[in-house]
Amino acid sequence: MATAMQRSGGGGYVQRSSSSGLAEVLDVILDKGIVIDVFVRVSLVGIELLTIDARIVIASVDTYLRFAEAVNRLDLGTSGGQGLPQIMENMTEGGAKNKTKGVLEGAKDSLFGSDEDDDESQSGSGKRSPSRSRSGS
Amino acid sequence: MHEGISKYVYGVVPAAAAAPGGAGIGGASVETVVGRQAAAIVSDVPDGELEAGRADLMVHARVLEEALAGGVVLPMRFGVVLPNADAVRDELLERHRDQLVSQLAELDGKVELHLRVVYEESALMTQVVNSNPEIARLRESLRDVPEDATYYERIKLGEMVAEAVNRSRDTDAGQIIDALAPLATAVDVRDLDHERVVVGASFLVERKRMAEFDRAVDDLGRERAGRMRFKYTGPLPAHSFVELSVEA
Repeated sequence: MATAMQRSGGGGYVQRSSSSGLAEVLDVILDKGIVIDVFVRVSLVGIELLTIDARIVIASVDTYLRFAEAVNRLDLGTSGGQGLPQIMENMTEGGAKNKTKGVLEGAKDSLFGSDEDDDESQSGSGKRSPSRSRSGS
Repeated sequence: MHEGISKYVYGVVPAAAAAPGGAGIGGASVETVVGRQAAAIVSDVPDGELEAGRADLMVHARVLEEALAGGVVLPMRFGVVLPNADAVRDELLERHRDQLVSQLAELDGKVELHLRVVYEESALMTQVVNSNPEIARLRESLRDVPEDATYYERIKLGEMVAEAVNRSRDTDAGQIIDALAPLATAVDVRDLDHERVVVGASFLVERKRMAEFDRAVDDLGRERAGRMRFKYTGPLPAHSFVELSVEA
């Protein structure tokens, strides 16, 4: 059975997938489930980058500076700006979703780490997904 | 018992369940160790510390997904390795038999659905500036001043933005959880792992209510399009809702 089963339905507003390869699901697997402490025998290689680094401390100077930069980057009130009305307008135009994402994505990628990479791989063809290392099925 | 081979454990299923197909970690075949009332899904791994990467996590997820397609499964956390099949029977299946059996019954017919909602940055910042005059003023005053000269003011601005985002999140996360919780048997809200996350939560949902739950998520996503991005994953084994954590 393929793991990348996409559930149909919805108007394209909700990004859907089954589990494997998504950062937050891998996080759940590392964090939740039956565990018998004495028998946990694993050293994680390269996983820290995926999960621990994504846990940005929410109330930190770094966060504040990122927020400050984000509001300063806004181009409100001038023509061609990307304020909320503009975005909503794009969303309601047929097939404009990708265009809108494109506009927003640049800034986001630099802020989000691996997590947003996953978003991208899910919404795209999947070429960038980490399936390179998945064997079989 | 083979010297040098241990058993990696993926999860626990009813005793009569078939082993999922496909390869396990390291390419070993996946099999079951059958106890009296429950069985463990296992595969061989070398003795000693198991060095595991992202690919191995994905194998763990895939094996459990296949098991879930065949019925109820109690997922193990990643990385549990027992010395041999007898230890799997004695230390896991027998020692915790009552709990395993009752949880297999409790989780039968239910799946975990995971939802993560993230604010779209541009829309969020626009909303924050437009609805907070003080933030708008401070932002204007800093815009054309060199960054080096305004370090502390920018921290102050960012802090005000963070507070506004927190207020917004409280409202938005509450609405989303309130809409979905009635359709679920249980909810596990995750800790925030990013400043622009609205909410991340796992829901335990009966299979027969999945379509209804899907529609509710779709509705929420549609109403919030452009403001928030919805990422919806599942069905997953009930990782967040198994309750057996044993400290030796």
